[in-house]
Amino acid sequence: MTRSGTPLLAVRGVVKRFPGVTALGGVDFDVRAGEVHCLLGQNGAGKSTLIKVLAGAQRPDEGELRWQGEVVSFDNPMDAMRTGVAAIYQELDLVAGLSVADNVFLGHEPATAGFTRRTEARRRTRALLERLGHPDIPADRDAGRLSAANQQIVSMARALSRDGRLLIMDEPSAVLDQDEVRTLFRVIRELTAQGVAVVYISHRMEEIREIGDRVTVLKDGRTVATGLPARDVRTADLIKLMTGRDLEYVFPDRKPLDPTASVVLTVRGLAAPGRFSGVDLTVRAGEVVGLAGLVGSGRSEILEAVYGARKPSAGTVEVDGKRLRRGSVSAAVRAGVGLCPEERKSQGLLLDQAVYRNITVSTLPAFARFGFLDSGAERARSRELTTALDVRPPGVDRAVRTLSGGNQQKVVLARWLLRECRVLLLDEPTRGVDVGARSEIYELIRDLAQRGVAVVVVSSDVEEVLGLSDRVLVVREGRVVHEGPAQEIDESRVLDLVMEGTAA
Amino acid sequence: MTSAPATSPSATSPSDERVGSSRLLDRLVVRPEIGALLGALLVFAFFSVVTEQFLSTGGVATWLDDASTLGIMAVAVALLMIGGEFDLSAGVMTASTALVTAILATRLGWNVWLALFASLVFALAVGALNGWLVMRTGLPSFIVTLGTFLALQGLNLGITRLVTGSVQVSGMRSTDGYSSAGLLFASTFTIGGTSFYVSILWWILFTAIAGAVLVRTRFGNWIFAVGGSALSSRAVGVPVVRTKILLFMTTAGAAWLVGSINILRFTSVQANQGIGLEFQFIIAAVIGGCLLTGGFGSAVGAAIGALIFGMARQGIVYANWNSDWFQLFLGVMLLAAVLVNNALRRRAERVRR
Repeated sequence: MTRSGTPLLAVRGVVKRFPGVTALGGVDFDVRAGEVHCLLGQNGAGKSTLIKVLAGAQRPDEGELRWQGEVVSFDNPMDAMRTGVAAIYQELDLVAGLSVADNVFLGHEPATAGFTRRTEARRRTRALLERLGHPDIPADRDAGRLSAANQQIVSMARALSRDGRLLIMDEPSAVLDQDEVRTLFRVIRELTAQGVAVVYISHRMEEIREIGDRVTVLKDGRTVATGLPARDVRTADLIKLMTGRDLEYVFPDRKPLDPTASVVLTVRGLAAPGRFSGVDLTVRAGEVVGLAGLVGSGRSEILEAVYGARKPSAGTVEVDGKRLRRGSVSAAVRAGVGLCPEERKSQGLLLDQAVYRNITVSTLPAFARFGFLDSGAERARSRELTTALDVRPPGVDRAVRTLSGGNQQKVVLARWLLRECRVLLLDEPTRGVDVGARSEIYELIRDLAQRGVAVVVVSSDVEEVLGLSDRVLVVREGRVVHEGPAQEIDESRVLDLVMEGTAA
Repeated sequence: MTSAPATSPSATSPSDERVGSSRLLDRLVVRPEIGALLGALLVFAFFSVVTEQFLSTGGVATWLDDASTLGIMAVAVALLMIGGEFDLSAGVMTASTALVTAILATRLGWNVWLALFASLVFALAVGALNGWLVMRTGLPSFIVTLGTFLALQGLNLGITRLVTGSVQVSGMRSTDGYSSAGLLFASTFTIGGTSFYVSILWWILFTAIAGAVLVRTRFGNWIFAVGGSALSSRAVGVPVVRTKILLFMTTAGAAWLVGSINILRFTSVQANQGIGLEFQFIIAAVIGGCLLTGGFGSAVGAAIGALIFGMARQGIVYANWNSDWFQLFLGVMLLAAVLVNNALRRRAERVRR
């Protein structure tokens, strides 16, 4: 590390607030030309917000960015790109229907009097793809028809076509298989050798050690350590930096589990090719079981398979000893299984419908008389539930869209309360829920369990999984690597299992 | 450029060839206009066999003329649809522009050229308003242009009745500059003893320009991009708002061209003309391979879609069938074209895996 002089990009005291939440509370770090700078932090530590600030998609409320020593401010992604900063997001943003070359040069097409010089665009695209070690990607293929890995390469080519000097990569390996990750690393090495800097976000320690130069750790929107040597820093130290925050919310007390309680959900040998395999899981009435793991580890897919939304290739799911038909949501729902999906807004809620209709939608036959819905009864029943759950603002006729994240989640929970389901599957139940409302959600989940529901919770927030569950399963790359009572394992041990897969 | 070039040239050249040959078929199959082309050939062959006049030069002149004004609009609407928007006011706009020209020329005694210019300005202003409203409010263009459609329809009738006391404006023949303007927009030319309307040339010219803009220019690239993903396009600096407003203005401009052709040929215009045509434009564009969701389509395809319209409408007349059958034919044609396009695209998508 003898590179001296001013850093390529210096981040100083960046603060970003959203209504009710401070996403970034003071971030400082430097990125040098030619280095791979890894950003590490738990879910909610502020990584995504930071990426958006660096790439010009969000403006910071305080603090400054210095590009080669000069203060810069990005009003939009174009500004950032013109300066030389480009983000390569996980959800790829190429325009399907346009060719690779058209995508690379979109917005700055080489043109004479308005006519694009296609041959030149194609030639320069080929040169860029070659520079990225991918001469195999055809420059005139429809970009929407490329694999995720190749789309990522095209995004990188686009950044380089604008003379990108700093690439921000948000968990690029999440959509890649092992070979593709190796190729990506080769590309990154070649780029950094040419002086390009990369900000690399990943949770996987082995990747950080292999590709990273320095590490910055974020916790609760602040830099807690920066400039750590990626190859030598101890995993235990990193984990200590990432965890150990002040408790902002309380978890409800666990009642001792009734050992005679009947087993409600039994999953045996569940497998889906390329996603997960050999998953066994039993949940008793009144028990909360947590699944911890990284995004992409297969935890959400396991829930979907239990719910029947994803057809498993092997294994069985039983509810109250009755075997469910594979891959059938209606069979699961009839047996009393409920799912609160991760994408609450797109999958779980009818956003423009009234609160009461969202609550009763899974139980409509109960409110039907000769085929006509008794909306008075729907409202009355919903009112009882929203009062009990303290949904605010009250009023069952308002559109769900107008509620905050926490209150939307309560509406979803109310739906399953009304249905009196036997098994409740919760995927990231507190995503987008502000800190204050979390405790209430936890309380509700506990309540549901107390009524004899078997609950399975998936969360990226390790603390949440441990605080909420009676028993914890750790999932890594589609396999359950640990199972045991929640009290007998701590946060750093789980993170260690999740990130390294080895004993600490 | 470190170690890669050492291995890549030998590795890539054979694979390039392989990719090239399989891509030729691949590319042919995913061309948006392929369904329309097949349909056009089918319709052409069918009526050539079933009727005698269809293939006569007089017959050809008739169905080409029928297709021409529809074709101009279909091509403009196709560009707009590729850009991800609709314009329901396009049909009634062809009447509005004709009415503006006719009223200015016959009632106020303006020179026809001046009246045409004023009418063009009016059309472009309405197009810009459509685009501005859509971009400004973020409302679907379907709704916004439904509003302008109804408003223009009311204006057409209301103003015509106010000015003339009836629902038509006529008397263009005796206006200043009628003959010179008519030469440009409504004359005929003769090939092999048969007269063809000049509107056919306008149609071909307009299609050629639109096609070239779409595939050869930056603006064409932007049309596909804003229709495919407006967000991504904005993020890389494509002027999304300007592109879409220009597309609405293009549609309105095309409606002016068609309105001018009509008023100069027929010398009178009904205030309720053009209503319902907007769907014919969209149908022709969809037969031509445009997706309702934007980001995909072709100008030439839309022109062929209009050709199918013209051939079928006139072919049914030549076959002495009741014209009621035209709608049935249209529905079947639309479904067939969409199904074929869809199946081919699916197949193309499977090829890549």
